[in-house]
Amino acid sequence: MIVFILRRLGTMLVTMLVVSIMLFLLLEYTPGNVATKVLGPYSSEEQRTLWLEAHGYFEPLWVRYSSWLGDFMTGDFGESVRFKVPVAEVLWPRLWNTVVLGFWVFTVMIPLSLILGVMAGMREGSALDRTISITSIITTSIPEFASAVFLAAVFVFWLGVLPGTSTMTGGFEWQQLVLPVLVLVIYDFGYVARMTRASMAEVMTTQYIRTAVLKGLPYRRVIMRHALRNALIAPFTVIMLQINWLLSGVIVVEFFFAYKGFGALLLEASLNQDIFLIEACAMVAVFVAAATQTIADVGYTYLNPRIRFG
Amino acid sequence: MARAETPKSGGILRCSMNVKEMTDPATYDWSEKGNLARHMTEPLVRINKDNLAEPYLAESWKASDDLKTWTFRLRKGVKWSNGDDFIADDVVFNFNRWLDPATGSSNQGRFSSMTKKIDTGKKDDKGNPVMSTVAADGAIEKVDDHTVRFHLNRADISLPEAMGDYPALIVHRRFSEEGGDLSKNPVGTGPFTLTRYSVGEVAEYKKRTDHPWWGGDIYLDGIIYIDHGDDPGPMIAALASGQVDCNYRTSVEQVLTLKAIPNLVTYETVTAQTGVARMKVTEAPFDNKQVRKAIQACMDHTKLLELAYQNFGAPGEDHHVSPIHPEYYKRPALKQDYALAKKLLADAGYSDGIKVRIDCVANPTWEQNAVKVIAEMCKPAGIDVEINIMPGGTYWDRWMKTPFGFTSWTHRALGVQVLNLAYRSGVAWNETSYSNPEFDKLLDEAGAILDPKERSKVMRKLEVILQEDAIFIQPFWRSEFITATNKVHNIYCQVANESHFNEVWLS
Repeated sequence: MIVFILRRLGTMLVTMLVVSIMLFLLLEYTPGNVATKVLGPYSSEEQRTLWLEAHGYFEPLWVRYSSWLGDFMTGDFGESVRFKVPVAEVLWPRLWNTVVLGFWVFTVMIPLSLILGVMAGMREGSALDRTISITSIITTSIPEFASAVFLAAVFVFWLGVLPGTSTMTGGFEWQQLVLPVLVLVIYDFGYVARMTRASMAEVMTTQYIRTAVLKGLPYRRVIMRHALRNALIAPFTVIMLQINWLLSGVIVVEFFFAYKGFGALLLEASLNQDIFLIEACAMVAVFVAAATQTIADVGYTYLNPRIRFG
Repeated sequence: MARAETPKSGGILRCSMNVKEMTDPATYDWSEKGNLARHMTEPLVRINKDNLAEPYLAESWKASDDLKTWTFRLRKGVKWSNGDDFIADDVVFNFNRWLDPATGSSNQGRFSSMTKKIDTGKKDDKGNPVMSTVAADGAIEKVDDHTVRFHLNRADISLPEAMGDYPALIVHRRFSEEGGDLSKNPVGTGPFTLTRYSVGEVAEYKKRTDHPWWGGDIYLDGIIYIDHGDDPGPMIAALASGQVDCNYRTSVEQVLTLKAIPNLVTYETVTAQTGVARMKVTEAPFDNKQVRKAIQACMDHTKLLELAYQNFGAPGEDHHVSPIHPEYYKRPALKQDYALAKKLLADAGYSDGIKVRIDCVANPTWEQNAVKVIAEMCKPAGIDVEINIMPGGTYWDRWMKTPFGFTSWTHRALGVQVLNLAYRSGVAWNETSYSNPEFDKLLDEAGAILDPKERSKVMRKLEVILQEDAIFIQPFWRSEFITATNKVHNIYCQVANESHFNEVWLS
């Protein structure tokens, strides 16, 4: 098991390293562009050359890359061109805001989708199953930008019961989180519910469940004791992957509700070619993607003895 | 209209606006940045509601007969928030800093009548000497603690108005020594002080209590700017749900939407704000005047205003002098003439048509709408205009370089001001690279006439030159709007999108 974990961690590090090299080559291969982006369009050729020299841009590529990587590892991401402050100063608070948003999305979505999925999967083909399945398909096929507009029209403009934006200017207010969380949950719960349902339905057809039912165990006990544990292995992986989805999925929602999170920051950085901020955001995204994948793999192995001992 | 009520003190005004970086007023390039600094730092002169220059930190001014010597009397009893008195040294410091090429301030162009060119001793690639623009000797004179005199090398009537532009906010005389960052060291003469600032998110101000403001009572206890991002959607939602009391700007597309929401009032003002589809005269094919004239001949300006700006404003005349400018000279309207356009193209050697590309920003959308209409109008003459829409940041990286681009220009109180900033040979914001000695000479001449009626005679010649040389298509002059809830009083839409909140009160 330990060897397995180490191997997964190794893969994760290699993935991040490869992505960092690609990112570096893409954004920093031509130093002239970097200087123009940092110093702005009014800068003279002379100022740019001086800046490039001072920041070591005339060193060989691999030297530049290793010092860039070194700075990155120590948390020095450079200065944001748009905000004129160190990248870390905007990145971490924004990332934290997205963590808060993500936490509430998961807190609502996971129990909701698991319960619905299990209920649907328990009796495949029943009226309850059909209702849940159809609802899931409908909500999952409505993109966030559409549901955001619809919900805002109803709750902000028509009923006037919820605030229209979520800037949290006066500190944390739960009312401002309702719509962003709702939009993300509506979009995502159906997917997880459908996965859970499929997994549950499969378990319900196995021999051991049939045996348990036939030997006269109460139905409730069959579900709780025998079916659930096996049925929840697949959804676990799916849920871990949702963390990764969330990081990019929040872009639309954060932008629409002016929520000051990571997604909105990434979008703003890209639109304005804020080079060091893009690099930092991209590396954070890669880290989250690689880390959730690793946790999903390790967790799956742990939960599934057939893999663990196989 | 707000009813005549007795103003009430108290309350915090919440305004939706992009909270940009606000390091150094001298290098501001957006009016939002000016607004962030405006409640703390103040200009010598303010352009008021009616597009007139009114005394602010300067109490009065007087020009000599030849308009080359200007004496400004500074207001007495004005205190900086650090306890210092506001004195002439502050003004001298700011002017010297603006005119120093190392500062990189657009004020250098605004006050070009106080500069001179020097040889840096270096040579460029072609072996020509590299010139630098610096403050002229003795241009700025401190007469006493509350009087400053400016000695110009040519007559310039727009000096007071130039001092009302947003990069001309006066910072403390030790601004550079103390770090040169207004957001970190917010020292100012204004009625408010910065209490919270998080770039891209929020800027919060509190009424100063250390010293009464020179301008009298301030009703508001504080101001908060909240950043809702580049999309107007969240701004509308915030206004509708009462999360903000007003906005920085309502774009023309939102006017009808916002008018439909109860409790909101939209204020309109006719401005000299515009956009120009400008052609760089040093880049092919726009170095050929016939190509530029051909594009111009395709335009129907009245239609442009109607299609791209819902008719809120006035049609443009391709000379960047607005009907609200005091020295405007009314010329016959330009006519759409496709036969002429085709002939000009053929003369230029493009009888089979020509393909050009124009850069423009994605937001605000009226800009790309104007460009789309321009492109459509070009088609019948065989001019295929490909539109390259890009984010604002990207466009402003290349606005000086692109051969063909659509650039928005903010309001300036006088016509000569705009022409000095944008079309005088060699100035920092001359995006067309236009260089015409005759034009420069006439501009000097116009700048020496204080009487607007007299000035308009020279202005006519300048307008003719610009129309003739067709270095840009100016689709229209546009109205500007802001929206506020009905509990906000004494608010108005200022012609250059400046936040004037000193008289605002909340009910």
